[in-house]
Amino acid sequence: MSAKNVLGIIFSNAYDEALPELTALRTMGSVPFAGRYRLIDFPLSNMVNSGITQVGVITKSNYRSLMDHIGTGKPWDLSRKREGMTILPPFNTSKAGINTGRADALYGSISYISNSNKEYVLFTDCNVVCSMNYDKFIKAHIAKDADITIAYANGIPSKIENGTELFMDADGRVTGTGLVDCYSSSVNYSLKSMIIRRTLLERLLHEAHSAKIDDFETIVSKNIKHLRIYGYEHTGFVRVLDSLQSYYDVSLELLKLENRKQIFTADSPVYTKVRDEVPAIYGIGSSVKNSLIADGCRIDGEVENSILFRGVTVAKGAKIKNSIVMQGTYIGENSTLDCVIIDKAAVLKPNKMLCGDSNYPVYIGKGIVI
Amino acid sequence: MAVKPECIAMLLAGGQGSRLGILTKNIAKPAVPYGGKYRIIDFPLSNCVNSGIYTVGVLTQYQPLELNDYIGNGQPWDLDRANGGVHILSPYQQIKGTEWYKGTANAIYQNINFIERYDPEYVLILSGDHIYKMDYSKMLDYHKEKNADCTIAMLEVPWEEASRFGLMIVNDDGSISEFEEKPKNPRSNKASMGVYIFNWKKLRKYLIEDEAKEGSGNDFGHDVIPAMHSAGERMFAYQFDGYWKDVGTISSLWDANLDLLNPKVDLDLTDDSWRIYSRSPAAPPHYIGETAKVENSMITEGCEINGDIDFSVLFANVTVEEGAEVRYSIVMPGTVIKKGAVVQYSIVAENAVIEEGAVVGEKPENMADVKEWGVSVIGNGVKIGKGAKVAPNVMIDSDVGGAE
Repeated sequence: MSAKNVLGIIFSNAYDEALPELTALRTMGSVPFAGRYRLIDFPLSNMVNSGITQVGVITKSNYRSLMDHIGTGKPWDLSRKREGMTILPPFNTSKAGINTGRADALYGSISYISNSNKEYVLFTDCNVVCSMNYDKFIKAHIAKDADITIAYANGIPSKIENGTELFMDADGRVTGTGLVDCYSSSVNYSLKSMIIRRTLLERLLHEAHSAKIDDFETIVSKNIKHLRIYGYEHTGFVRVLDSLQSYYDVSLELLKLENRKQIFTADSPVYTKVRDEVPAIYGIGSSVKNSLIADGCRIDGEVENSILFRGVTVAKGAKIKNSIVMQGTYIGENSTLDCVIIDKAAVLKPNKMLCGDSNYPVYIGKGIVI
Repeated sequence: MAVKPECIAMLLAGGQGSRLGILTKNIAKPAVPYGGKYRIIDFPLSNCVNSGIYTVGVLTQYQPLELNDYIGNGQPWDLDRANGGVHILSPYQQIKGTEWYKGTANAIYQNINFIERYDPEYVLILSGDHIYKMDYSKMLDYHKEKNADCTIAMLEVPWEEASRFGLMIVNDDGSISEFEEKPKNPRSNKASMGVYIFNWKKLRKYLIEDEAKEGSGNDFGHDVIPAMHSAGERMFAYQFDGYWKDVGTISSLWDANLDLLNPKVDLDLTDDSWRIYSRSPAAPPHYIGETAKVENSMITEGCEINGDIDFSVLFANVTVEEGAEVRYSIVMPGTVIKKGAVVQYSIVAENAVIEEGAVVGEKPENMADVKEWGVSVIGNGVKIGKGAKVAPNVMIDSDVGGAE
């Protein structure tokens, strides 16, 4: 398997500012998603399922919850004597621990990268939700004899800042990049996952550091003529989370079986930290429609078009519609939620009502008691 | 060695559980699935860890593959340890020949060397057949307080059932005056739970003596404990009051699962301070569809539910299609129940397929003779054909063709 020769790098903090509500207390990587996961579970599982055995997780700030979640990497079989998972905390360079772009972040971990004996480096962000076979990605990179291969999807891109559009020739070689400026028609937009030869990466990072370039996109665009840069199209379900609204929309898209089937496939399971909760318990008179329910929930009320994370309690007479309720939250008797995202361990006392709109979901912070 | 353990546990998990029929055809009884995501052995293992006992020997014999695989290095129970942890102990070849475990006492006898490596003060003997939550450390405190040589956990059972158990007649100070093994006319309702604490040095002596004894059944209940009692050792009963169930038969396994749905039953698995650990599959949250109706049930991750579920326990990755009904049933991992099929008063094992319109099991009230009613069991991987009917009180171990 070619993936054996690849070092995986995950940026846990990239685009935190796109989801300020959810990342106020945590990294993008530890944002809860799909009822029992954290966003980092998706790239981590993709890497492991593709045969990558060495993964570095780059952190920048607020990474306690991330460390708590990934621990030693055991749930992903990455707790190893040789290789396995390593958390890469910010390295104290000139900017004292706060790296600004991905190139800068990688430069901070350059000794970890150099010490790896892998031939290639694959790096990816946490805010892209997809089940991707990196092995095919790597094989495509090798087949084209490329210097850099960038994963992209064809479709209408999300409105994230600095969205990158790829222009390619018939062979798939990247001839130019540009900022996405059109959000109504299909374009080839970058998923910000890249494969690059390790030695080349090191050289580019040194160059970028001396030229004070923080961002990897700039490196790519400066080198389009000198390097063989190719695109690799990822087909299938892929979503970029770029705002609370898209977090909400993408979450609820998982209520569709055809979307779920593309993310949770039998041959590439998504691994996460196990919490040893009991199966969900449904009481007499409970009613649940079109919803995803995690273990440890206790449901005596009504739930519709919603996602309930582990250990959520829905008391008698409570109604939850079009909402996302995170781990351990309590919804009291006869309370109503509609179009609400409610973070972990919050409490909604009996007879309360919270309503947002599907175009403007209300967010309730972690541990808040209403 | 680092800190010497005061007490180690020996878990007897070699039982076949023959009364569970096809459910234990390929697995030992302790590996039988229970409660949506557990196996029976999760209960004694989790009890050990929660009681602060971190050295556990698991004695396996009958069909050990799945059980060994399940326990693995013990990581789900925090028993993957440098010092102690969980150890699978199978019968082994010795210079004098190969011996299976002849009885419960012989199983421990054959592993004296394992216990001696830890040189504990006390040994806790458990079986892998029961569903219960118990703090063994309290029992150990009691054992020490009474300065006992052997303490046997007991619980009071209903008098009408007492004759099915090994009973003890207990003095006011908690010491045991007499044992009665499944008597016709019980004089006590204090039944042994098969949980023992021994002073290791004493037990060692009796195990060696018992082994040398001609004609001994090498069993704790029949041989070793009576021998200790008649020799006048200090034997005490420790009263446990809580939920305890032997899931040795199909109907008791069915009952014990449905007990989880009964708020009046004292078995709370949601208790954070006494969590039951298990090896979990990597499955997404379960999905309840637009056409589904779920009430009074337990549903595990990975399920896709579009039919009606009432009073049932569904394990991971079960699919219930639109219009299908599952009532008063236990459905184990990976089973598919297709459109319009009915599964009632049944236990369906792993990866079975119930085709469209098939009906499995029957309501007791629909029986001409209620005495003939019983829970139906569908074996692992069995396919029940379109429109087929499976009678109550049967075990189906091979595919059943469709009705047409």
